[in-house]
Amino acid sequence: MTVLARIEKPGLQTTVQDGGRPGRRHLGVPLSGATDALSLALANAALGNPLGAAALECALTGPTIAFEADCAFALSGADMNAELNGERVGLYQRVNARAGDALTMTSARAGARAYIAFPGGVMGDDFLGGVSTYLPGGLGGVEGRALRAGDFVKCAELAAMTERDIPASVRPMLAHDFVLRATRGPDAPLFADGDVDRFFAAGLTADKRADRMGVRLNGFTLTASMTGTMNSSPVFPGTVQCPPDGAPFLLLADAQTTGGYPRIAQVIAADISVAAQIRPGDRVWFRNVSPEDALDISRCKQELIGTVLPGFCFY
Amino acid sequence: MSAAPAFHIRAFGENGWLAQFESGGDAVALALYANAVADGLRTENGVIDSVAGIDSIAIRFNPCTMDAESSRDLLARAIRKARFKKTPAPVKKIEIPVCYGGAHGPDSDALCEKNELTFKELTEAHASTTYRVLMLGFAPGFAYMGPLSEKLNAPRLATPRARVAAGSVGVAGAFTGVYSLASPGGWNIIGRTPARLFDPNADAPFVFEPGAEVRFLPISEDEFKARAS
Repeated sequence: MTVLARIEKPGLQTTVQDGGRPGRRHLGVPLSGATDALSLALANAALGNPLGAAALECALTGPTIAFEADCAFALSGADMNAELNGERVGLYQRVNARAGDALTMTSARAGARAYIAFPGGVMGDDFLGGVSTYLPGGLGGVEGRALRAGDFVKCAELAAMTERDIPASVRPMLAHDFVLRATRGPDAPLFADGDVDRFFAAGLTADKRADRMGVRLNGFTLTASMTGTMNSSPVFPGTVQCPPDGAPFLLLADAQTTGGYPRIAQVIAADISVAAQIRPGDRVWFRNVSPEDALDISRCKQELIGTVLPGFCFY
Repeated sequence: MSAAPAFHIRAFGENGWLAQFESGGDAVALALYANAVADGLRTENGVIDSVAGIDSIAIRFNPCTMDAESSRDLLARAIRKARFKKTPAPVKKIEIPVCYGGAHGPDSDALCEKNELTFKELTEAHASTTYRVLMLGFAPGFAYMGPLSEKLNAPRLATPRARVAAGSVGVAGAFTGVYSLASPGGWNIIGRTPARLFDPNADAPFVFEPGAEVRFLPISEDEFKARAS
């Protein structure tokens, strides 16, 4: 075990996240893991790590960390104005730090989440095969919580690196407008005539209620309240629930496993990483695509990304 | 054994399907049936998620190894093939000691008032039923159980709590449920168990599993303290 760095300022919410805990939803255990799985994979690739190796996920405002060892790192996702000893450092590339160096990050202007990857991946508490932090249940990561000042970032051993160039063509472009492609949800037939079409035409605004579980979206309400209540039924990251008298809610990596609200849409797998970068106040549109088109889109995107990240899969 | 309930299948994303059963029958038998089918599908090649709700099953497949049509057929076939039983044998039997009311059951007084019950009637109505775990969902290890006595039916809290203690026993709608971990939650909390329901290091980290038979045994505050320490 090697101590790589010490957290000086934790930022708004910095957590250990990896590829999550797939296939555990029947136990009520959410996927968790990086909400923007593509950015996590890119930061890891820049260091030659396995694509789902555990890294730090930083929400809105990044941390300040002091290196305790000579060690490389790589940043991805939202640009949080990272500086190493006062010098700007770029994203999507290997950066070499020395013991005693300070990495400072501030608030992102666009995008919600940044990733800091370290060689070999960072350590965390294992739960069901993953070290991702699930804050509502206090599971994984560092004691199941967000990092605090004084916590240490550790890795099992300093791994040998085969770093990789990350071309601009695969780096996410972050702005304040998001167009997410989505299929009609399984409950679409339950909504009143025209409501699903209105949903796909609506310009929505992300609420301040936005975390790893999901984002509330303002600017759309159903015309008619739906009759009856729905029994608890499965939901997934990318599911958009629409309560009868409330705002649509887009679920992300920490999505609960079942929900009782009608599912109006399902964001296509290729766009879920994009959705993870929505910040409060951003504008969001959902564009309706067929399941067949969604599969074509992810196949094309996967081919492009696969040239840089062999083995990367949206599913 | 009787005929399996009617269902329809709808697309759930580009790589998923939702089988929705028609309502109206025996809700406990249906939930157990849905969970048994979902358990069987989970190990199929190409299936990445297989999750049952109270009256539904969702599967998700990996489109790199399985096409949409075959996964839909797989789901439909599994449902038709499974045996629908009114009362399937329990997979295990669990006894859960519960201290009802007071600080452990902060919503029991309001529930008594709303449903015109004495506290004793509430405790008896809840503890005299033998329940089945219908599904785990909503939060890690959260167990939905039924059938709940109609005397105890109640809507969820208008404002969910930010934190419900691990071991809390609640009721909502036609179900009772137990929080295996502390979590936010909107169920009416009527009691709490001192039993440990979660071991993060175990292969099967939760005591509850769908199909298990559960009995609640009322205990006093003193017993709660003794068992919790």
